[in-house]
Amino acid sequence: MRALEVYRSLPRYLAARVVSGRLPAVAAAGVAPLRLTTRSAPPLPGPQWVRVRPRLSGICGSDLATVAGTAPFYLSPLVSLPFIPGHEVVGELLDDAPGLPAGSRVVLNPVLSCRARNLEGCPACSSGAANRCARVTLGHLSPGLQTGFCADTGGGWSGQLVAHCSQLHAVPDDVPDERAVLAEPLACAVHAARRTFAEPGCSVLVVGAGMVGLLVLHALRALTPAGRITVVAKHPRQARLARDLGADEVVLPKAALTAVRRSTAAIRLSPERGSDLLLGGVDIAVECAGSASGLEQALRATRAGGRVVLAGMPAPADLSPVWFRELELVGSYASAGDDLAVALRLLADPHLDALRTSWHPLSRYREALDEAGDAGRLGLAKVGFDLRKESA
Amino acid sequence: MRPGFVLEVDERTPPLLVHRGDSFGLERFPLGSRVVYPPEALPGLPDVRAAITQALEHPLDSEPLRVLLRPGMRLTIAFDDISLPLPPMRTPDIRQQVIEQVLELAAAAGVDDVELVVANALHRRMTGPEIRRIVGDRVYRSFWPQALTNHDAEDRANLVHLGLTDEGEDVEINKRAGTSDLLVYVNVNLVSMDGGWKSTAIGLASYASLRHHHNTKTMRHSRSFMDHKASALHSSAWRMGRLLQEHVPVFQIETTLNNQAFPTSYAFLTKREWEWSPRDQAMFWTLKNGLDRAPGRLRRKALSDLVADYEVTSVQAGAVEPVHELTIANVHRQQLVEVGGQTDVLVFGLPYLCPYNVNSSVMNPVLAMCLGLGYFFNMYRGQPLVRKGGALILYHPVQNAFDQLHHPSYVDFFEEVLAESTDPAIIEERFEKQYATDPWYTHLYRTSHAYHGVHPFYMWYWGAHALEHLGDVVWVGGDRKAVQRMGFRSASTLGDALSMVSGSVGTSPTITYQHNPPHSIADVR
Amino acid sequence: MSSLARLARDFRWGHVPSVPATAPRREVVPAREMSTAWARTPLARGVRAVAQAGALAPLVRAEVRLQVTGAARLTALGDEAAVLVLNHTSHLDTAALLTALPPPMRSRTVVAAAADYFFTSWWKAAGTALVFGTVPIERRGGAPTDAPARLLAQGWNVVVYPEGSRSYDGWPTRFRPGAAALALTCGAPIVPVAVRGSYTAMPRGRSWPAPGRPRVSLVFGDPLRAAPGEQALAFAGRAQAEVARLLDEDETDWWSSLRRANSGEQPALQGPPTGSWRRTWASTRPVEPTSTGGPRVWT
Repeated sequence: MRALEVYRSLPRYLAARVVSGRLPAVAAAGVAPLRLTTRSAPPLPGPQWVRVRPRLSGICGSDLATVAGTAPFYLSPLVSLPFIPGHEVVGELLDDAPGLPAGSRVVLNPVLSCRARNLEGCPACSSGAANRCARVTLGHLSPGLQTGFCADTGGGWSGQLVAHCSQLHAVPDDVPDERAVLAEPLACAVHAARRTFAEPGCSVLVVGAGMVGLLVLHALRALTPAGRITVVAKHPRQARLARDLGADEVVLPKAALTAVRRSTAAIRLSPERGSDLLLGGVDIAVECAGSASGLEQALRATRAGGRVVLAGMPAPADLSPVWFRELELVGSYASAGDDLAVALRLLADPHLDALRTSWHPLSRYREALDEAGDAGRLGLAKVGFDLRKESA
Repeated sequence: MRPGFVLEVDERTPPLLVHRGDSFGLERFPLGSRVVYPPEALPGLPDVRAAITQALEHPLDSEPLRVLLRPGMRLTIAFDDISLPLPPMRTPDIRQQVIEQVLELAAAAGVDDVELVVANALHRRMTGPEIRRIVGDRVYRSFWPQALTNHDAEDRANLVHLGLTDEGEDVEINKRAGTSDLLVYVNVNLVSMDGGWKSTAIGLASYASLRHHHNTKTMRHSRSFMDHKASALHSSAWRMGRLLQEHVPVFQIETTLNNQAFPTSYAFLTKREWEWSPRDQAMFWTLKNGLDRAPGRLRRKALSDLVADYEVTSVQAGAVEPVHELTIANVHRQQLVEVGGQTDVLVFGLPYLCPYNVNSSVMNPVLAMCLGLGYFFNMYRGQPLVRKGGALILYHPVQNAFDQLHHPSYVDFFEEVLAESTDPAIIEERFEKQYATDPWYTHLYRTSHAYHGVHPFYMWYWGAHALEHLGDVVWVGGDRKAVQRMGFRSASTLGDALSMVSGSVGTSPTITYQHNPPHSIADVR
Repeated sequence: MSSLARLARDFRWGHVPSVPATAPRREVVPAREMSTAWARTPLARGVRAVAQAGALAPLVRAEVRLQVTGAARLTALGDEAAVLVLNHTSHLDTAALLTALPPPMRSRTVVAAAADYFFTSWWKAAGTALVFGTVPIERRGGAPTDAPARLLAQGWNVVVYPEGSRSYDGWPTRFRPGAAALALTCGAPIVPVAVRGSYTAMPRGRSWPAPGRPRVSLVFGDPLRAAPGEQALAFAGRAQAEVARLLDEDETDWWSSLRRANSGEQPALQGPPTGSWRRTWASTRPVEPTSTGGPRVWT
């Protein structure tokens, strides 16, 4: 089978780190420690594992960070090289699983927790929060926080992968692949929305209107009693989608603080250097841009005692407001409990029809990565690989 | 001095100068268009100092100022802020000359308790250097900053509520002014809207007092607000002023200027185009090309550094109302132009400056609207120059840019309020209170140099009469998005604009271009 | 189109500034004294002599049939400078006069030209000063200029059109006393000159003589000198009467004109009553050819 593989190469890793953001992504992808290889399909690691043939597999922000070499070193012991990326997967079973005959379409909860590793449940897993599992490096599998970061399971960017039965969720027949592949990101968004603990009528700022931001907005509106929601969107199409999905106000990044200040009658101050800050502001901010400026904006626009939720992989930012304004900084990683089930239910919303996606064969991975890096400007919500014609 | 007149564009008419914000251009108007030219500049008073002395010694309906001053009294001198005149006049400012003579009389009379207040109402606080430019170095050094202050309409401790008028309007003004033994007001009456009771009853008032006349209903019934006898705004101010007069004697000193609105080297800006000398043409060409090529910041700097060669045409002092009558007569002498009948399409070129962006980085869209549909549209007496349902064509770039220091609430007004509605009445009902009481705007108004939070609303109300009266408003050269946000349309040329408005005025409308500035008031017969 | 080119077109560079019909004019045209001293330097005189003899005179003779009478009367002047006054109906008058003048006299002749017409732009002023030797005078009050008097004193003949402007219908109007005053000031004689036919050839509004070589006749009169104590007004009247007589002489003959002048039968200088179509009718009558033989004294 063909697969895109991330392998160990320090020179390439460093080179990718240097050129990413400086060169067009098409060129940058050529430098990254990523290659298209032909290799044998991964063997089944044990009982209760099944083979899955990916149909569509999305490119996530964390994948791009991995390829660009900008992922934090913090995560390096949590992965095992070489691995095949791709954790947003809709696929079809090649083996029978309990309750799911071979040939069923499934989506994957990519977290490789105690159950998949055939371990006794750690406290987190026992309490139902598998995403917080403490044993993601142990057991009979190589280290890997998720499918798509583990050397033994394969990943979505290939013709075949293996998955533990506990990771599988059936996809209703009326949900097309293009929609079903959004289940995993939507589950993360559901998780993030739940992590806001939004109270009735509270004001929320969603920073970023890429896939994460839009799905978080969707989940917030569907699952929480949040009041006024302001979305920071960079691109016109994102802005329109955000409005359709229930944002009360959509603003450009540079106007975000102004808009928050206006709606909350806060006091705006200008530091000697750096961006302006508010005394007062929204009750809850959700950072979905994954950039330093996005987090900075979220921190500076939240009222004292408010909550800032990190829905994407964060970039470093000045944490003074967390201390000075006694903010609650809340992380939200992957999904847990019934998040994915809820996500599959929310997928039915027709508003999501407007999310445009773009699919490429593996051979055109450079174009795919390039497009994924510029998706917002191109008006695309999700870019990924179409593997339906790929041989297993 | 030749009087103003109405030109009919014929084949012999050269293209005419049209202001367009930070630049200007020459426009060929369709044959038969009318162009309203203001009278040429009146000769200035030969001896301004003597004229002031004369006015103070022989005031109208009042004892000479010398007699009104006595030791131990509380004397407050209030004066117009930076919004007058436009552009700023060459120093010494007329206010300086008047205030110095008033203070000399006060010193001679042994008055110790003197304070000076800038009557800036909800306008931004003026900076020290700006005040110094107006009052002159002597006054500034003697009084700044303890006894020479900006009026603060949000300082509860320094406001006094004097009561209600017959119509139930609150009269709340600057406490120092309202509790003085004598309030001397020094004004510059550039246009006929200024002066009279508007000086004190509006310039020194609080929001609670201003909201009675700065609202949609009043502005729709001020036709025009350039004519105080036909203006609901002024009627309200007059009622307030009469109540004010019961609490504090007011000695009003009003001055008028001629039409010399630009420096001599820029004479082409005030000349009639067919009389432009080669030098004027060269100056025009150089300046226009220079401005068009210069970066925005440099361009605005060049323009905001212009200082007008205004000359004083009259000084009158005494009781407010008779003084103002005389003032208005003098303003009319300089600005009134008789125009025969209304027009279908009225055209204005908006200059780079309005009362609220002096020394600002940019004239924002809301101010452009106020200048066009507020000030310029109202430069009429009797009936509007454009017929009801007619079209207004304005030249201005309408950049979506705001001065963060001076106009913080304008940004929000433009982004939030105008996105919801452009109807002044709806805006007033739904948003005014929120903006008027927003603590940040209030804070910036009081401590920084920002216009009050509610000020953009007033700018919009200023255009309420025009919005109601006009069938169409098109901006030539305006930023399309910004113009759309305000509920108007933009065109790239006059021809396009005329074809856009043909729906409301037909394909061969009568066109009138009011050649402002220098200002003229169309006396429409 | 460049902005400069547009400006040039819009403001009609090279033309007289045009004023919209409904715009009020400026009350006073500021007197702009343009110096023409350069045009009387030897070099300019040389150029002018060549231009007049080599270009202007042949051109005039080619376009009209010029008939000059009484040039001999000028010999009475000797080298004395004089004021030449003539009736004025056409721009052709100056060209015809300069062509008719004997070259020695022509080379020291200047033409007083309306400052508000010929001296509004530098190139117009320079051109006429060089070719015609014009000097500016104010015809509508304004700043009086002493230049013609100065020139007269320096020995220059000065051509003055005492009517102040070209005639509208071909008939002369009343002579103003300026030319007479000038002569009185300097004690110079006045040479009356009558020009006939130039109205027919090239009236106001035409910029080139009519085709067909129309006739233009020019009659020089005897120099007139002021009587002791004579005022400018009376002197001007005398000059006017003499020009009228010369016109009559050209139409008839010297003697008839003299007799008619004395008997009061001479046609009035100003022609038929104003407004009559006959004024233009009469003044556009072609000049009859006269016998080029001997003097027509006794015919």
